[in-house]
Amino acid sequence: MRKLALAAAMAATFFATPAFAEFPEKTINYIIPFNAGGESDVSARFQQPYLEKISGQSFVIQYMAGAGGAQAWSQLNGMAGDGYTIMGINLPHTILQPMEKDVGYETKDLTYINFFHYTPNALFVPKDSEFNSLGELIDYAKSNPGMVTLSGSGSNSANHLGQVQFDQLADITTTYVPFSGTGPAVTAILGSQTTGGFNYVTSGVNNGDGMRMLAVASETRVKAFPNVPTFKELGFDLVGGAFRGVAVPKSTPEPVREKISQMVTDVNNNPEFQKKMEDAGFVLTDISYDFINDFVAAKSEEYRVIAEKLGIANR
Amino acid sequence: MELLGYFVNALTPLNILMALGGVILGTVIGALPGLSATMAVAVLVPFTFTMDPATGLIALGAIYTGAIYGGAFAAILVNTPGTPSAIATTFDGFPMAKRGDGSLAVTLATLASVIGGLVGGVFLLLLSPPLAKVALAFGPPEYFWLAIFGLTLISALSVGNTLKGLLGGCIGLMLAMVGVAVVGGDIRFTMGTHMLLGGFDIVSALIGLYCIPVLIDLVATPDPHLKVEAGKRGIRLREAFGIAWKSKFNVLRSSMIGTVIGVLPGAGGSIAGLVSYSEARRSSKHPETFGKGAPDGIIATESANNATVGGGFIPTLVLGIPGTPPDAIILGALLVQGIKIGPTLFSQQGDIVYTFIFGLLIATALMLPAGLLIGRYAYKSIASIPKTLLVPTIAFLTVVGSFAIHSNLHDVQMMLVLGVIGWLLNRCGFAPSPIVLGLVLGQIAEQGFVQSYLIGNATGNLTGMFFGRPISLGIVILAAFTLLYPLVFAKRKERARKRAVDAARNFTDSDGETTLPVADITKLRFEPFAGLKKLAAQPRDLAGMVLSVMLIIVAVLAYSQTSSMSPMGSVFPSTISVAIIVLSIGLLGLNLVRKPAGKTAGHGTDQGAGEESSSRRVALVTVMAVWVAGVPIVGFGCMAVLAFLLLARISCYEAMTRKQILGEALAGIVIVGGLYLLMAEVLLIRMPTGLLF
Repeated sequence: MRKLALAAAMAATFFATPAFAEFPEKTINYIIPFNAGGESDVSARFQQPYLEKISGQSFVIQYMAGAGGAQAWSQLNGMAGDGYTIMGINLPHTILQPMEKDVGYETKDLTYINFFHYTPNALFVPKDSEFNSLGELIDYAKSNPGMVTLSGSGSNSANHLGQVQFDQLADITTTYVPFSGTGPAVTAILGSQTTGGFNYVTSGVNNGDGMRMLAVASETRVKAFPNVPTFKELGFDLVGGAFRGVAVPKSTPEPVREKISQMVTDVNNNPEFQKKMEDAGFVLTDISYDFINDFVAAKSEEYRVIAEKLGIANR
Repeated sequence: MELLGYFVNALTPLNILMALGGVILGTVIGALPGLSATMAVAVLVPFTFTMDPATGLIALGAIYTGAIYGGAFAAILVNTPGTPSAIATTFDGFPMAKRGDGSLAVTLATLASVIGGLVGGVFLLLLSPPLAKVALAFGPPEYFWLAIFGLTLISALSVGNTLKGLLGGCIGLMLAMVGVAVVGGDIRFTMGTHMLLGGFDIVSALIGLYCIPVLIDLVATPDPHLKVEAGKRGIRLREAFGIAWKSKFNVLRSSMIGTVIGVLPGAGGSIAGLVSYSEARRSSKHPETFGKGAPDGIIATESANNATVGGGFIPTLVLGIPGTPPDAIILGALLVQGIKIGPTLFSQQGDIVYTFIFGLLIATALMLPAGLLIGRYAYKSIASIPKTLLVPTIAFLTVVGSFAIHSNLHDVQMMLVLGVIGWLLNRCGFAPSPIVLGLVLGQIAEQGFVQSYLIGNATGNLTGMFFGRPISLGIVILAAFTLLYPLVFAKRKERARKRAVDAARNFTDSDGETTLPVADITKLRFEPFAGLKKLAAQPRDLAGMVLSVMLIIVAVLAYSQTSSMSPMGSVFPSTISVAIIVLSIGLLGLNLVRKPAGKTAGHGTDQGAGEESSSRRVALVTVMAVWVAGVPIVGFGCMAVLAFLLLARISCYEAMTRKQILGEALAGIVIVGGLYLLMAEVLLIRMPTGLLF
């Protein structure tokens, strides 16, 4: 009996100490909580080869779309916390969704590891639009309240928040028209179905010829579009968009969390990766594991203020 | 010519190998319901980064087109669309297979798919920039009307049973409303569960509504699944060619419809198939054969859905707007490779684009031999496999397939529940197709409507938004045509009969001899209420009455919930609830007018009930429910093998020797193991883990 216990103890130690220093030792699943082809997928695809080079293991990108990402995030903590399952995570989604309603997870339940980039909002109009500058659009909106229609991806999304803030800062009333994703929202702008739209800067790279970007909601001008002014330059304190990063199940041990954060940071420091991401319109950030909880807390406060204005801060 | 050079570029051995391999892999994946082109393309994207961009694209495009085609196999042989694109293929494909024309149906589907794919590809090659404009001309009102047009197909699908068809459509629309609303952001009808937040997945609903009823009825009788053809007729290629040649206008029209609908981001293969099916039926000389195994139905759907592949690449490559989910992945892959999308792509990176398009055309052409070969074996194995293996294999595929969509067990649970409900509804005269149509088109209709309303309201031109746009009007007219067609057709048929009778009377006058009494002839006139009278004359349908009461209760509950939603999120659900209530009351009223069913009155569904085994049906559903519930506790593979063996026993009607049973068990383990490996190791789907394996 004692022998058996001893053996069990030995076996336990043997299995329990797979020396985290060695992580990773096998394929890592990288789950994207959205459909393929969106910004989350594309940026993960950009990371994939560099992550594989750094870790020496393959990263498999999988999709688990549903309920604007809530389907996957609400299941994250039930997955194996061994570091071999990581999941893409987005702001403001994981703050706004639980703030509005019970979606099966809370903002603070999630284990954020690293936000590696963000896509600022930008205001687009069709190429042949009568509006050549933000000022012209605002003037028109002032004299025709509600007439300006702006497309965007989904209700209560980063795009929607941008439109609400813009209305407030410019003291105008525009009509937000939600679409089922950034693709259809951009199509509506390209086809002049709406006056314009709030969309991510990245959309301007793919469809640059069909749309005009009037202003971008970032702190400084975006490298891919040096000629487009920021809202700040034009006198509107509008900075926003979507942050993207990785998260892990809650049960993942600390050393593994740090290691994953380090890998993501290392990829961000690769000049080749930086060039590719910036050419595609992404803005790199490096909010690593040590700072991330403060960052999320700060963002939560910021978004709560806007959500209250929108009337969606129910919880 | 420049294009010829690109064609030669595309003809390298590696490219051809990629095209062939892609088509075969795609066909197999498409044939398995739940496994999709999106999945296969996503897994293969990283591999293509090591290839020349054109070669990588050819491989991805070949898988995509193969998968769209492969969906027809499951539709024809098991009555379950392998991909949503093949929904309309089930309407005529399965009846053909049932009556012993399975191999002809498969060959026809192959021919139609190849031609449709080629037409789509040629449009992509020659007319991309102008066609891309179509994508932009389609705004919210057009999508709304397109969805409504798709819904009018319900009236054609349920001739003689229109009320139930419309109710079924409303049920589907209601199912589409469940989950987080895109417009408005409300959470609707999730009944407090997180499981329903994402709504009902279309693929899992397809598998449930079409496949589970097939399974339930398969175990109930010892009859074989498909009628085996008399004599050796092989793949009947010559016959298929003949039929396709006679229907050449149908093929061309459907291919064009498919290409144009493929160009529209947000429409896709399922709508293309449904619209061209509807058009083929409308222009057919024998519309009454549709739904009962008309070759033209298969031809229309299959040529249209494969044409969407080429069509879908048009906005993807010209505008950077993906037409379909696989297009989105391919677009992402192009971005990662640093290829700039846009109108300049064709002029500046012509070598990549044109080589790819020719590669896609080659792949489509290769689908003919590859598809005929696969189809021959697929048909043979489905037709000759003993029931004791067929039932558990299909059951396993439903579970695996619905799991694979999002690596989520919730989808499996929903699939099974919907399947059982679908079977019950089917017994009460509610066919699955209207429900599926509602589910597929509900979101598109709702978003289109709300967006049009928002824009129209903001610009102060609501009427103009819905009725003042030329493309919208065109679709509205087509929809009205389809809706009224059964009436017009009935009138036309009446006239033809009258003409025949007149001729007979002339004959009588001249000859003085006839079998037709003249008194009857004068009665023949078109009566619009005749149909209603005929309906009322049918015996009372008790099950239908119970169901309509239940539907009224559910709809009232749903309606009461809409009051707490935002105006944007509530307009559709409340309208649908009201429609359900009105239609249900109509059905109820009609049945009250009817006389109670006498003992002799054939109920249709009751016939032959004596030979059907209800206990086996219950056993099948129970085993599957326990199976799905047990996966997270015990493990996926373990439960699958166990359930496989149990289901084999449930579907066994003859005494088997121990050796046979052992062989069957081994076959079961091989099938389960093989598919498990395909999913876990090839498609890299995360499988659920339990205590065991």
